[in-house]
Amino acid sequence: MSANRSTPTNVWLWLFQRVTAVLLVVILGVHLWLSNFGQASASLRAILGVVLLGLALFHGFNGVRTVIFDFDIGAQGRKFTTMLLLLLGMVSLLFGIQGLWPLIVGG
Amino acid sequence: MTRRIARLFGRGGDLNPRNMRLGIWAWLIQRVSGIVLVVFVVGHVVAISQASFALRGPLVTMLDGLRTPFYYVDRTFLAIDLIMLGIIAFHGMNGIRIVLFDTGVGVGLRSHKVIFWILIAVAVVTSGLVIYFGLPLLGGT
Repeated sequence: MSANRSTPTNVWLWLFQRVTAVLLVVILGVHLWLSNFGQASASLRAILGVVLLGLALFHGFNGVRTVIFDFDIGAQGRKFTTMLLLLLGMVSLLFGIQGLWPLIVGG
Repeated sequence: MTRRIARLFGRGGDLNPRNMRLGIWAWLIQRVSGIVLVVFVVGHVVAISQASFALRGPLVTMLDGLRTPFYYVDRTFLAIDLIMLGIIAFHGMNGIRIVLFDTGVGVGLRSHKVIFWILIAVAVVTSGLVIYFGLPLLGGT
């Protein structure tokens, strides 16, 4: 019942979800363009890569959180869900940074 | 639990296809595609980070490393990527509609239907363009 109620945290997350959504549409477009046709300096690609990685992982895992919170899983379940998704997000972030590493340092 | 599911999908339920109209379909597909895309993004990130093990230089080499194991050997990955492209396009364009709704642009039911179909058309056209021009470059003919 009280899963997606308007706590300050949830309102901020809602706002960030919208902001990242719009940014992702734009940056994903650039990402697709660059990976298919474009030319850009390695540093620009590195910056785009890191930004896209962070935005996509936040948007994705926060979205999963919203979907799960729509089910009645109890306060305990919500806390566990948040922690698990945070952990998974952090691990994915590390994988992504590792993947982008040659671009970041090899500029 | 069972009663709740029965209420959702049963006669008169919100998720009974008989009662579902465009908006609830968009809501449902947005959620399902979102879950699918999270799985895809994590796989995409992990795949790239593994591919970059063999790399020395910037992105051109990185893409070469990506093409060889994933795209040439096994075409199913290419197919999955193309399906994901369509799902991303849908999720993104319907997401824009949601943001428009939340910011109060075109709140009327009618205008939202129009906005929805315009954005879906944009999604179809852009993924078509990416496939038409991008596929030969990826070696998928």
